[in-house]
Amino acid sequence: MSKLNRRAFLASGAGAALALSANPRIVVGQTNEPIRLGVVTPLSGPQEFIGSFVKNGAEVAVDLINKAGGVRGRPLALEFRDEKANPAAATTVARELLGMGINLQLGTIASTVALAYGPLMQAENGINLTCGAGSEKINHENYSPHVFRIGDGTYRMRAQARMMAEKFPDVTSWTGIIPDHEYGRTVWAIYVDGLLEFYPKITGKQPQIVDPIIVPYGSGDYRNFITQAARTEARGIVNATYGGDAATFFQQARPFGLFNNRILMDVANEFIVANALKTQVPKHWTGTHWYYGASASPIGESFYKAYVAKTGNKMPMGWAGEAQAAVAAYAAAIAKTGSTETKAIIEALKGLSYDTVTGARTIRAEDNQAIKDLEMIQIEPDASAADVGFKVSDYVKIPGAGVIEPATPGQAMVLRKSS
Amino acid sequence: MSRSHATRFLVILVILTAAALLLPFAANRGLVFLAGVIAINVVLGLAFNLLFSTAGLLSFGQATFSASGAYAAALLLLRAPEVPFLAVLVIAAATGAAIAFAIGFVALRRTEGVYFAVLTLAFAELVHVIIAKTSFFGRNDGLTGIQRPRIGPLDLAQGNAYYVFVILVTALLIAVLWWVTHSRLGRSFRAVRLDPMRAAFLGIDVRRRQLEAFAISGACAATAGALMGPLTSIVSPDLAHWGESTKPILFTLLGGAGHFWGPLVGAIVFSAVEYGTRSLAGASDLITGGLLLAVVLAIPGGLLGLATLGVRRLQARPAAPSEAALPLAPAASKGETL
Repeated sequence: MSKLNRRAFLASGAGAALALSANPRIVVGQTNEPIRLGVVTPLSGPQEFIGSFVKNGAEVAVDLINKAGGVRGRPLALEFRDEKANPAAATTVARELLGMGINLQLGTIASTVALAYGPLMQAENGINLTCGAGSEKINHENYSPHVFRIGDGTYRMRAQARMMAEKFPDVTSWTGIIPDHEYGRTVWAIYVDGLLEFYPKITGKQPQIVDPIIVPYGSGDYRNFITQAARTEARGIVNATYGGDAATFFQQARPFGLFNNRILMDVANEFIVANALKTQVPKHWTGTHWYYGASASPIGESFYKAYVAKTGNKMPMGWAGEAQAAVAAYAAAIAKTGSTETKAIIEALKGLSYDTVTGARTIRAEDNQAIKDLEMIQIEPDASAADVGFKVSDYVKIPGAGVIEPATPGQAMVLRKSS
Repeated sequence: MSRSHATRFLVILVILTAAALLLPFAANRGLVFLAGVIAINVVLGLAFNLLFSTAGLLSFGQATFSASGAYAAALLLLRAPEVPFLAVLVIAAATGAAIAFAIGFVALRRTEGVYFAVLTLAFAELVHVIIAKTSFFGRNDGLTGIQRPRIGPLDLAQGNAYYVFVILVTALLIAVLWWVTHSRLGRSFRAVRLDPMRAAFLGIDVRRRQLEAFAISGACAATAGALMGPLTSIVSPDLAHWGESTKPILFTLLGGAGHFWGPLVGAIVFSAVEYGTRSLAGASDLITGGLLLAVVLAIPGGLLGLATLGVRRLQARPAAPSEAALPLAPAASKGETL
């Protein structure tokens, strides 16, 4: 055995020091330091109320994982930043987090922000998991391997159309209350696609699509549009107006009896409109990212209990569940690969099957879109529910695999259109 | 324009540019990115102040020009990548100048003062709506996937190359705006601002000068806006929102409208406060708004006005303490300094 001389000793020592300093904590388990996840979500402004569900949901999810021993023995820690639902503000804080070495991020709810993250994360070697951004472009024409939608995609609209075909086979004429906005038009186009596929398949009847009522954003007076909708022969109405607009529209529609003999399918207001209108809320269906009362999984039950204990809110909305699914996705990917390095996590996330508050979900490897069960709830007024004034009177779950559109990363979705 | 003024300006510009170029050695990627955004905001503030303090035109529609440059550059980078980036910047500047000229042509024809300001706001909102509803401009989602370009053999996507480019181009734009402000053209802008009728009697074509000021401001704002797309990788209708038009006004009021460097100080302080309070969700906007209110109400000359006042008082005290109150006149009324 040759003798170790001074030069060889120094050279090997320097090499070892360089190797250790390059990225000493890439391999999980070598340290007890927390694994930091960045949460970039609206924490101020008009979308703060959604961001608060993401924030609380992520905190509760991390608390539960840490209480159970963390990920490979290391606790998770969250670093929050306010994106203000603005792409410029969001990219600034995302870059700041990347500069701090936090490459694993989650929490985006705005489509423009999620779309901006694709090239940013690709260039800066980070990952973002969106918690509710709705644009179909995220996993189609603007697909980026560094952005994952771990929750509902636009295929929830197809699930809502399928549920209508199953539950209301005789309601074959449909129109929409559609905000004059990209999101509204996309939602309507995909809902029509679902109606045209599932009504013939399930009921044997061809649905009649009535031109939707296009309404402006932020209008205080929807009465002209309401009378226009009331004149149509459509027996089903899909509503894509949102938040305060939807509450105003529903309230003004009461004297006209617009929803009296029609089925109302709301796209995504969850409890927003019901919380505003209480006993005045019309009976309607709405899509939700996660319904806490479904008890879809043991994780969902323990998450709900911890969420109520932390926030006191007994009716959390679905974005909290999306945040749980995002934190759980990172935890599962880190546990699987034993690394927090971007390339390894992307590989681990693609095709990953894991448990969430809504049950099992799988991230489709081709376009980073999660396949999960889609949840719909029926809300109706209930004067006996003293504190809220409404109740959830029905719940339906549609398996995602039967309604999700084909993966076409880099290409636009192809949709059925009414003739 | 005196030589000492020009030398002093160049020294300050070189120091600021050097400090910005050295930043990547001391700060993380997030701060470097933020510094790039601030540099662009500085030009937007200075371009606004050329109109406001020099030409006497209050424009509430500056976001139209920066957004037009941003969209022109983004469209060319995405759909005609063979066009050299320097040519893209020139086209963006020309787009901003043309739109400014068109809006100015209509707005200046019949209105002035507050009516002119409201009309610029109306045009800005019109442009915002057109962008948000036109598929060519990507509607509400905007245009995404804008890559950082190459300039000949230089790949601006590598490391901090694009940041360095942004700093150099913004420094050049600042120099252009300073030169315009202090040139014969700038003096004629001031003459029009101070007394349009007297300026007209002196042979100055008032409307033409105002249109020129509008077009130059629009071209500079559009060039700065063109730098934004490759920096953030997206351009969205938010860039043309009226809220963006208020920012250059805030930078100017905060820093001091009567000083050439006022908008720069305002943009840096505004961003520093926003950054410093970023983790105080909800309180951040309150603190920023409260600061602006305090500055505008308590020190109408802005931060630079206050600093100038402090320096003058210090200089005046030992020589003639009884005259210390003399420099109390608002800095803005003394015309721009430096």
